[in-house]
Amino acid sequence: MALLDKFETAAAIRDQLSYGGQDPTTVEIERIISPTEGLVKGRHTILAGTNNYLGLTFDPDCVETGKKAIGEQGTGTTGSRMANGSFAAHRVLERDLADFYQMPYGMVFSTGYAANLGVLTALLKPDDMVLLDSDAHASLYDGCQMSGARVFRFRHNSLESLEKRLQRLAEKAQDCLIITEGMYSVLGDTAPLAEIVELKNRYGALLLVDEAHSLGVYGERGSGVAELQGVLNDVDFVVGTFSKSLGAMGGFCVSPHPELDLIRYVSRPFIFTASSSPSIVASTTEALRQLIARPELRETLWRNANRLYEALTSHGFHLGPEVSPVVAVRLGDKERAIPFWNHLLEAGVYTNLMIPPASPDGFSYIRCSVSAAHSVEQIESIIEAFAGLKNTN
Amino acid sequence: MNIGFEEIENRIKAQLASYLESSGHPELEAHGEITGSSNLVSDFTLDSFQVMEFLMALEESFDIMIDVNNLSNAHTVNDLAKVVQGLLNE
Repeated sequence: MALLDKFETAAAIRDQLSYGGQDPTTVEIERIISPTEGLVKGRHTILAGTNNYLGLTFDPDCVETGKKAIGEQGTGTTGSRMANGSFAAHRVLERDLADFYQMPYGMVFSTGYAANLGVLTALLKPDDMVLLDSDAHASLYDGCQMSGARVFRFRHNSLESLEKRLQRLAEKAQDCLIITEGMYSVLGDTAPLAEIVELKNRYGALLLVDEAHSLGVYGERGSGVAELQGVLNDVDFVVGTFSKSLGAMGGFCVSPHPELDLIRYVSRPFIFTASSSPSIVASTTEALRQLIARPELRETLWRNANRLYEALTSHGFHLGPEVSPVVAVRLGDKERAIPFWNHLLEAGVYTNLMIPPASPDGFSYIRCSVSAAHSVEQIESIIEAFAGLKNTN
Repeated sequence: MNIGFEEIENRIKAQLASYLESSGHPELEAHGEITGSSNLVSDFTLDSFQVMEFLMALEESFDIMIDVNNLSNAHTVNDLAKVVQGLLNE
């Protein structure tokens, strides 16, 4: 039984999560009513933890385009693009993404996780150097680990820590890849990309930015934090996902480097994964069109984010460092956070529970993600639910 | 930097004790003295975030950069001291 003994740790984690009621990982949304509402335990529940930033999952055009693709192209591709060939729609989406980012090369993957694994394992080899923000997503860590590269972390968003490492690498800095995110997923804080670009240019490194949570959210055109800070042209690789603002599933990378097209030949997570199904590719392509054509979605998203952040601040909650569509409420230890999360669910608000080691600073958080599809009334209900629990232990 | 192995190990022990105290870990008292064979995870129940935090503190203290891809066999204080010594000798 020794092989299975390791699951005692997993069982302990599960028991810990059940402290205070429902295990958050087992929540079942019995029926999805809208991008922001579902039935949980038979109760109408506001969905405030879905990363559905633009609320496009029920957009009539996205839904119709997806349905049409199933009717015309079938339910799946039944294999990888290397073995079975690409559907024309995969190529169209790659071109649309590259055009959107004003870069010549684009590549899509079956998930956001696969995009990071696929790009990093192809881009890096053992002895290459990586400088990775300490709060980077697990998929970035995993891609670096799988590559066998030498991975050094710098303190989260610390230019001093990053520059110190670049200095230490000396001439090897020119063979180094710096990895950051645009907006970080747990606290909703953004990277100082303009300054990071200045450092990467000064030391001759390359830069990869994961805009998974910032696509559709930041920048006049909605492409992310690099656009907002005016440095998109200096980013070597932008990676992202279709499973947040674009309301589907999949991932991508765009780049000014022609080598991105060669990644197809050497990236095992790309070569050995079934390609995205036609409905996903079609709805994503339409969602990207909507993201570009409807900047008012971003305006509504930010109005909702500002309202929630300001109201929770005024109620005395300790929040993440900046206003963003990710509103993270710090609750100290997990003994307070887990019951708090349960009480919110009972009050009809679904959020995300973040406890150590998944949280970035050792504290426990209730994480809300705001959507453009949240009504004013829903935002007020979320605020009311938090306020009602302010003094619970 | 010319630091002997014993000094490296002692500095790591002191830094670990300080980290455990500052992060409110009760295990130090229960475990007693930190030795070379003390295991960061099983003896002091540091989670992955805390291990990474501690490693970053070590990096700053010794002015080194630790490759996180090269730590799969570093479990104890003694293992860490060997990693640090190797980096100081590079």
